[in-house]
Amino acid sequence: MDVDMEERQIQARFVTKLNPPFKAPPSAITIPATVTRLGLSTIVNSLIKAGDPEWETQPFDFLIDGELVRMSLDRFLLAKGISAEKTLEIEYIKAVVPRKEEEPSLHDDWVSAVDGSCSRFILTGCYDGFGRVWKGAGVCTHILEGHTDAITSVSVINPLGIIEQPLYYTSASKDRTLRLWKVTGLTSSSLLIRPFKILRGHNASVGSVAAQGSGSMICSGSWDCRVNLWQTDESSAEGDSVSVKKRKTKNGTEEPQLECFQGAPVSTLVGHTQQVSSLVWPERDTIYSASWDHTIRRWDAETGKDVSSIICGRPFNCLSVGGEGSTLVAAGGSTPILRIWDPRKPGTSAPVYQFSSHTSWISACQWHSKSWFHLLSASYDGKVMLWDLRTAWPVSVIESHEDKVLCADWWKEDCVISGGRDSKLRISSGVPVL
Amino acid sequence: MGVSIPPKEADRLKNIVDENGGSSDEFDSEGEASEGSEVSEVATEEDGGSSGDEDASTSDGSGLVDDEDENEGSEEGADANGSSSDDEKASASVDDGLESGEGSGDSDSERSEVAEESDSSEDEVAPRNTIGDVPLEWYKDEQHIGYDIKGKKITKKERQDKLDSFLASVDDSKNWRKIYDDYNDEDVELTKAEAKMISRLLNGKAPHADFDPYAPYVDWFKWDDAIHPLSNAPEPKRRFIPSKWEAKKVVKYVRAIRKGLIKFEKPKEEPRFYMLWGDDSGAADKTNHLSYIPAPKPKLPGHEESYNPSLEYIPTQEEINSYQLMYEEDRPKFIPKRFTSMRSIPAYEDAVKDSFERCLDLYLCPRVRKKRINIDPESLKPKLPSRKDLKPYPSTCYMEYIGHKGPVVSISTEFSGEWIASGSTDGTVRIWEVESGRCRKVWEFDEAVQYVAWNPMPEFPILAISVGQDAYLLNTGLGNEETQRKVGELLHVEAAKVSDDSS
Repeated sequence: MDVDMEERQIQARFVTKLNPPFKAPPSAITIPATVTRLGLSTIVNSLIKAGDPEWETQPFDFLIDGELVRMSLDRFLLAKGISAEKTLEIEYIKAVVPRKEEEPSLHDDWVSAVDGSCSRFILTGCYDGFGRVWKGAGVCTHILEGHTDAITSVSVINPLGIIEQPLYYTSASKDRTLRLWKVTGLTSSSLLIRPFKILRGHNASVGSVAAQGSGSMICSGSWDCRVNLWQTDESSAEGDSVSVKKRKTKNGTEEPQLECFQGAPVSTLVGHTQQVSSLVWPERDTIYSASWDHTIRRWDAETGKDVSSIICGRPFNCLSVGGEGSTLVAAGGSTPILRIWDPRKPGTSAPVYQFSSHTSWISACQWHSKSWFHLLSASYDGKVMLWDLRTAWPVSVIESHEDKVLCADWWKEDCVISGGRDSKLRISSGVPVL
Repeated sequence: MGVSIPPKEADRLKNIVDENGGSSDEFDSEGEASEGSEVSEVATEEDGGSSGDEDASTSDGSGLVDDEDENEGSEEGADANGSSSDDEKASASVDDGLESGEGSGDSDSERSEVAEESDSSEDEVAPRNTIGDVPLEWYKDEQHIGYDIKGKKITKKERQDKLDSFLASVDDSKNWRKIYDDYNDEDVELTKAEAKMISRLLNGKAPHADFDPYAPYVDWFKWDDAIHPLSNAPEPKRRFIPSKWEAKKVVKYVRAIRKGLIKFEKPKEEPRFYMLWGDDSGAADKTNHLSYIPAPKPKLPGHEESYNPSLEYIPTQEEINSYQLMYEEDRPKFIPKRFTSMRSIPAYEDAVKDSFERCLDLYLCPRVRKKRINIDPESLKPKLPSRKDLKPYPSTCYMEYIGHKGPVVSISTEFSGEWIASGSTDGTVRIWEVESGRCRKVWEFDEAVQYVAWNPMPEFPILAISVGQDAYLLNTGLGNEETQRKVGELLHVEAAKVSDDSS
């Protein structure tokens, strides 16, 4: 707005897809060429404020031709080869930066898994063998007991569109079992919850678990290089029931409230040669599994066959499917580079995007459930970074952990939750993704 | 020899000859006394002799021929003259009116008897050979040596065999004067006068003793009253202008120079000397002799070889003694010595040895051109794989398992890759989770842990370690209850045995 006496000036017009309170006057103004994102943001803020006196300044991010502006305007134009003669159309979006750091939620041991897919609570798994359900920062509602060894992965089995139904939680642990929990209104008052089903079938620690969209089946990957598929309903596999009961009387650990079912794998997907570190079940029939044998495999859930695989030179730690039409596969591993593939493209070995701002292994990555462009990644260097596909630099960096970050997820569409080696669950809220 | 004597003189000479009688014994004295007369005798008798031998009858010749002995020498002289001066005879005979039909001449000195008797035309003189100037080898195998004037073959005489002829020649006092004439196949004996003549010729004088080469020339003609010049032609212009012929010659030379036929460069003179010393890098080696490799030249003598070198060049007695200790090849070949005066310089002892060795070098030392193999030394290096081929290799440290107090000496990874067991010298064994770096379990021992190893059967997660002098099997406590139970059973059963073995 202020036309300073500088060398170059650019005509610009601000457009946005945001809702009216954020709309700025669409007329073209002249802005100096050396302005950066911050300068642009102040300009827009002042523009809006001119129209609306009660406007609170908000950070904005700016897009030119679908790319976020990350340097001064003239250098950006030079790099992209955009002529500065015409009137630039700059689209602005809300800067994806968390506004508030919540209180850390302390655990007894390392927080190894976190799931924020349900907006009402956060489910965490910890190295002490207990899963915890949190309503908010520091507010733990339930403790899921049952595992004898550290929990490696947790997942909320959320039947779609059905709220207030009993939710199942599942957790995978190093004691080679998966346990399913049910939280209903009845048990919501008590703190400790026991699992209603134990799934045994792996020969080694179970590293990851993922649930099918409909909630009837889950798949788990373990250190014995297999992916097992299980039923989640409250029934035992027929063959096991008799022996299980015997065992239970021996142990004498049953509680009168819940029966403990046993489960055996429905089918096994064999193909990996190293530990299956991460699983995603995006569609009914497709399972993606990432493993330390440098491949990401796509399986057909019904036939159990390995359909295709993406080979990269690094073992994978984490996997997430999202993006436009849920087709892009993001995976991070023992390199500091987060890679995104498009499996539809013929040459699948080359990643479409690469984000390399981390300095250590990437332990978790997750697409945003609603946005096409945003994803986050957590790394052993203690940072959680939010990425936008339209720019190579992280949109924001959350440095709330002092030590390695072991897991991260989105929550409530505008919060980032992460857990790490410092035994804390951190929530960064107010991230305006959309 | 072409002195023509007037007839009066010839008569006078003849009288001298008549007076001079004598046998062959007084030949020598006679010869000396009548040297001059002999000459004149010869002069006349040459005419006479020639005519005497022939059938031509001349008074002079016959008179002379009467004295056999006397004429022996003269005839010899005459004969000698006759044989060698046919041309002379021709002129003499012209002057004296003698016949000069004898082309073959008369050199038969020993046929004096025959000559004496040759008043008649029936001469039994040895025929003169008429074959002319042909090589006598043509008649080598023949029985004759040629043909006489009449066309008859002149047969070869019988030769004495070598021994007899040798003996004859030894006994013969006149052997030194005898020459074998192979043209006419006879022995010719030179008279004293002839011998003297020959010696005079060899000294470059005129053959006749009575010839005075320094006599003043008496011109036949008188020029005193000649008033007209022989030629009064005006001097030609060519004596005063540049010479025409010279100009033509010059033009000829110029043309030749222009064509390049005349060369001005001096022909390259080969060096007349061969540098014994010096460096061998001359251009001569690189010439056309590809297989000839010359011996290297010895170096010029330097300060050490001087007869009076500086003191520092001379080794002390201890040094000389130390040479004895060295191997023979290592000893210096030459020890410099100092001489105060030139006369005290001894002969070089090794001169012969040195030159012999040099000769060996030159002709016995095989020299071969070494074929230099052009090997690029870089190609001998083993080809290391490039960095790219070796990928992936570790380049960055991402994970640290922190917990040990002392150096970690042994590491073992579990079969599935989930855990690492490590033993260190601080006496602890720890089990780590690979992906998170968390230490699961610690065992403590008193001594340093030497080695850790996982059970290769993954169903039983047992760790074997060696601590000091003991080996332990540890139940790692991993896996679910069932596994634990099994492991417990296993280890419990073997516990006794294990303890027995380890103790």
